[in-house]
Amino acid sequence: MAEVILNQVVKTYGSIYAVNHVSLTVADGEFVALVGPSGCGKTTTLNLIAGLIPMSGGDIYIGDKLVNDLDPKDRDIAMVFQNYALYPNKTVFKNLAFPLQMRKLSKDVIDSKVMAAAKVLDITHLLERKPRELSGGQQQRVALGRALVRDPRAFLMDEPLSNLDAKLRVQMRSELKRFHHELNATVVYVTHDQLEAVTMSDKMAVMDGGYLQQYDTPKNVFDHPRNTFVASFVGSPAMSLFPLEIIGAGTSVSLGSPEGWSFPLNELNSRKANASTGKKVILGARHSTITVHKTAHPGAVPGKVYTVEPTGDVTFAQVFVGDSIVVVSVEPQVMLRLDEPVWLEFDQDRMHLFDGQTQLALNPA
Amino acid sequence: MSSGQAIFTDGPGTAPRRPGLFSRMWKQRADYLYVLPAIIVMLIVIGYPIYYTIDLSFSRTPTTLKLSDKTFVGLQNYVAILTSPNFWKVTWQTLVWTVLSTIFAFGLGLGAALSLHREFAGRAFMRGLLLIPWVISAVAASYVWKWLYHSDFGAIGALMVQIGVTDEPINFIDNTRTSLYALIVVNVWKEFSFAMIMLMAGLQTVPESLLRAAQVDGANAWQRFWHVTWPHLSGVSMVTILLLVVQNFNSFIIPFVMTGGGPAGSTHIWITHIYEIAFQRQNWGAGAAYAVILFILMMILGIFYVRALTRGDATRAGT
Repeated sequence: MAEVILNQVVKTYGSIYAVNHVSLTVADGEFVALVGPSGCGKTTTLNLIAGLIPMSGGDIYIGDKLVNDLDPKDRDIAMVFQNYALYPNKTVFKNLAFPLQMRKLSKDVIDSKVMAAAKVLDITHLLERKPRELSGGQQQRVALGRALVRDPRAFLMDEPLSNLDAKLRVQMRSELKRFHHELNATVVYVTHDQLEAVTMSDKMAVMDGGYLQQYDTPKNVFDHPRNTFVASFVGSPAMSLFPLEIIGAGTSVSLGSPEGWSFPLNELNSRKANASTGKKVILGARHSTITVHKTAHPGAVPGKVYTVEPTGDVTFAQVFVGDSIVVVSVEPQVMLRLDEPVWLEFDQDRMHLFDGQTQLALNPA
Repeated sequence: MSSGQAIFTDGPGTAPRRPGLFSRMWKQRADYLYVLPAIIVMLIVIGYPIYYTIDLSFSRTPTTLKLSDKTFVGLQNYVAILTSPNFWKVTWQTLVWTVLSTIFAFGLGLGAALSLHREFAGRAFMRGLLLIPWVISAVAASYVWKWLYHSDFGAIGALMVQIGVTDEPINFIDNTRTSLYALIVVNVWKEFSFAMIMLMAGLQTVPESLLRAAQVDGANAWQRFWHVTWPHLSGVSMVTILLLVVQNFNSFIIPFVMTGGGPAGSTHIWITHIYEIAFQRQNWGAGAAYAVILFILMMILGIFYVRALTRGDATRAGT
């Protein structure tokens, strides 16, 4: 296994930047998730690493080798595709053997390597079948097998779980994690599902509009989103964001709304607010950091219940605060009625402030 | 490996016994009513001529055009055909014509389809250009080619003299050794775009991710074609080849317009030969007998064609 380094990688289609100066380092044995909404450039980035499409600029290293001008087959990487991309006319055995045959290994070596890979993935009993005779999970495993059979320097995975049904996906998620752990493999994993990224990866690269928005451990991305995009993309339900105005200055700053209510910030948050480029800030709060009061409460802001979604363990509610919707959660035994007035209290230690203009997270001035 | 097995692995139990053909037909009698008008029309315009041709093939007709005066002669026409040396000569020429035309039209079509499948500037224009032979009128094309081949005024002969292949223009058409092949060239030119269009449609069904997977697995362009693209094309290739065979077996316009079967019958294929016997020599019985033999051969090819089509359905249903 080897590390994968992207340095100022660019891919343009005409005047459109599909990948815009992305730099990141995937350490040897690390599991990195490229995550973002459709069209954010994550799959393009993966294809650039694989060498399936030409780069417009930048450098890619796999191990200590500059691979910019190398063909996919010379980059020594393996790829797992969303639809598995198994050769439909070949048996499972021949699918697994194919990358080895292309490298002109002897028949004995091929046999032993295929059997070893099949054993790891528990598919030895399927070797004589054709792909269409396999279930989705089995096909997935064969695709993994074809990737691991030749000890590549890195695994590239393009949404490998998104064609599976929900239950199987959760199961394969743990299996992939085990797979990564046992092989100590370097994995670059593309997904649009932030939950997959958070649960599986050592580090996640959040992309949007061709830019790398944030590259950090899932915990840091979750706790310290760099900007409003990352804040709203990571976490489910999404973090609620709503624009407010700074009132006052120094160490006793309040945030006020157009409707007229306001609440004071603590000292740290006041210093953050002071760093804002203008008077406008965006408050970000996850449902778990918001306390719901049924009566007026000092420091809490007024709102009106819009929808209530009981899930069993916890009840989510959408609350209108001014023009913005805020998602909150309450214990299942708390009954909320539609259109009921409530007061929301934000946990000042765990709330986020973003600059109203730049959308970037504010740091204490 | 039958695809039927794959289907049944999903469901328990065995398939219910199929009821007999007639009870199924009776159950679906309303459906037959809907297609009845079409069936009646087909019986009149297709069924009756077939019946009448078969009837004629067992008869001798007078040299006048009064077909009602025909007399029953049994298998005499068939015997006469099968024992005539001309029959075997024309059959051999038809086989050469069909096999060579099909092979080269398919091969050229495959090459054109593969070249047009990749992205390049002017692809749409090239596609349009290569389609011209297929959409152009066969009669017009035959006349143009006849002039191209002309020994005194033809461009091909002139070109060969210019680049020094020969000292004087070769007469391709008025030569019993080259005439059939000269016509096959025209036929291939006319037909390869049909194969091209069919195969281009087939190429669309090759999943991009499979080709990428093969690329990552280390396959070169030829290996990608052989291991990924070609297996996806086998169904459409089978249908294309069968259609080409049927089409070539039934060719008429190019040989009829360009040479009329000559010189010395060297470019006669079945259809032109039948036409000559029936409509030029007024030998209706023999022409009909020829047509019946051709009809039987065509029906056999038709069975393969339908099989190739429905086999594709079964494979798709199985995946």
